[in-house]
Amino acid sequence: MTKPVLIIGGGPAGLSAAHALATAGRKTILVEKEDRLGGAPILSGYARLVPSHEWASDAIGGMVTRVEQNPLVEVHTNATVQTFDGGPGNFTALLKDGTKIEADSTILTTGFTHFDSINKPEWGFGTYPDVVTTTQVEQMISSGKGVRCPSDGRIPDRVAILLCVGSRDRQIGREWCSKICCTVSANIAMEIREMSPKTNVYIYYMDIRTFGLYEGEFYWGSQEDYKVKYVKARIAEVTSDGKRLLVKGEDTLVKRPISIPFDMVVHAVGMDPNVDNMTISSVFGVDLNRWGYIGRQSTYAHLAETSRPGVFVAGAATGPETIDDSIAQGHAAAMAALNLTNMAMKTAAE
Amino acid sequence: MPIHEKSLIRPENLRTNDNLVIEGMDVSGHWSTFIEGRSITDYNENLQDEIAALPGGENIHRCWQCGSCTNACTVNAINPEFNPRYWIYLIRLGMEDELLRDKDIIWQCVSCNKCTYACPRDVAPEGVMKATAHWLELKGHTPKSPSMIFDEGFSSQVFETGKIEDSLVLRNFLKDTGQPLRQPWLESMILGLIKRFPVFYLIRLGLMQVFRPKTKGWGRARKAIEEYVHEVEAANRKALGLKEGAE
Repeated sequence: MTKPVLIIGGGPAGLSAAHALATAGRKTILVEKEDRLGGAPILSGYARLVPSHEWASDAIGGMVTRVEQNPLVEVHTNATVQTFDGGPGNFTALLKDGTKIEADSTILTTGFTHFDSINKPEWGFGTYPDVVTTTQVEQMISSGKGVRCPSDGRIPDRVAILLCVGSRDRQIGREWCSKICCTVSANIAMEIREMSPKTNVYIYYMDIRTFGLYEGEFYWGSQEDYKVKYVKARIAEVTSDGKRLLVKGEDTLVKRPISIPFDMVVHAVGMDPNVDNMTISSVFGVDLNRWGYIGRQSTYAHLAETSRPGVFVAGAATGPETIDDSIAQGHAAAMAALNLTNMAMKTAAE
Repeated sequence: MPIHEKSLIRPENLRTNDNLVIEGMDVSGHWSTFIEGRSITDYNENLQDEIAALPGGENIHRCWQCGSCTNACTVNAINPEFNPRYWIYLIRLGMEDELLRDKDIIWQCVSCNKCTYACPRDVAPEGVMKATAHWLELKGHTPKSPSMIFDEGFSSQVFETGKIEDSLVLRNFLKDTGQPLRQPWLESMILGLIKRFPVFYLIRLGLMQVFRPKTKGWGRARKAIEEYVHEVEAANRKALGLKEGAE
């Protein structure tokens, strides 16, 4: 009998792969290190997702339920893989709690880690309570309490969103664009404007990368329907005049220094490689790429392959990725896992 | 200081003290030359709304600063200081002082509308220029522009009679802009008309000037138009936070 497919990580990509495999009739074992499934959208309490505006708890929560209710999927939460041996067709994984898992192949859907804004101290995170991250704003929205200044609970008159915090920055060794923060920020800006029309939202940007169809709905929409203002400036520092936050930088379009008061500053944090990637790389014997994400062997012909045969990868484990693309890649990895089995059976039959 | 940054220093921002002692050190004269800070310290969040409230300015918030308007601009080709893209940015962010520095060139837009066709976001920059010039006038920053004087003379005649009498429009315009009635180009045009026009037309033209006929039954239309114009003007002044009818 064919062994199950082992999936590491229960975020959108892992849920998608598990669902695809189970639907195709394959037994699947899903290992998640946290106490519940759902990945970043659930664990970090995202609000409404880009681009569908569905609540994360509904959209990703629905994927979780679908997988949990599938008898072909065996879920292990609070679990990590300690050792991983063997080759395609007969891998053996040993979990922390001693559970031994035999697997035909493995899909790594280990995701990313939010950039920790404390690593850019000049932008005030950790120093001033009203400097927050996009993740925190998502939580404010999804909690139903609305966007309020953490210092005193007031509704901010003026909010600045700083893009590229933890992205596109050699100073901190992050040379990648995190792909989704522009769109997420525009979405958040619109939600703030909708909840509190008197709050003015400014987005400080170097480039706006609301790629593809996100351009019209999120970039143009935030400007045209919600009057969000975009200022081309990379902020130098965030300080305080004792009452409000001061955002300093250069407004490049007027060639003038700016020092503008704000009630709340939001860091649009980027997507770092999963902090556990070094461990994952050594346990599973897969190469990381030069940026520290799990490396993909091929861009076109074999979508989900890592450097180790039989070990596949999908989603933000490979680099900054959107939720919908992670889900698509989860499907691709499931197909790769199915193909591996079929090829082995064919070879055996011959 | 890099050379290009020297161009950023404005003469009015230079401060020199003839007599100045700092911590016992005499730094009188050019030793005490200071450059005042150029830092922008706040945004005026009403400015964009005020311009957007005036006819033509409605779509200013769409601008993403690509510069297509400035690149297409007829006036910019002659005067590089005429930069619609830049002014739209200043208005969007509420940099009123910066905008006012250019108050004497903003009204020079010739309404060729090349920008209107170049703009990828349908901002209608020509309309924004019109609204901005109007804003400058309403706020008392600039005197009425010649084109505004012409427009007012032209439309007041239409409101009054339902007709246009060209020579009266012209005479009023020259009078209201303080220009002499005897203009060489005007004289040669009138002489040309007299030479070439059939006598019948010339007599009709003369009679028109004397009797100034009105469109039949104009009274009701006139009342409706005047009401509407008053309504729009009142709304504009209200949007700008100005007292009614204090023009």
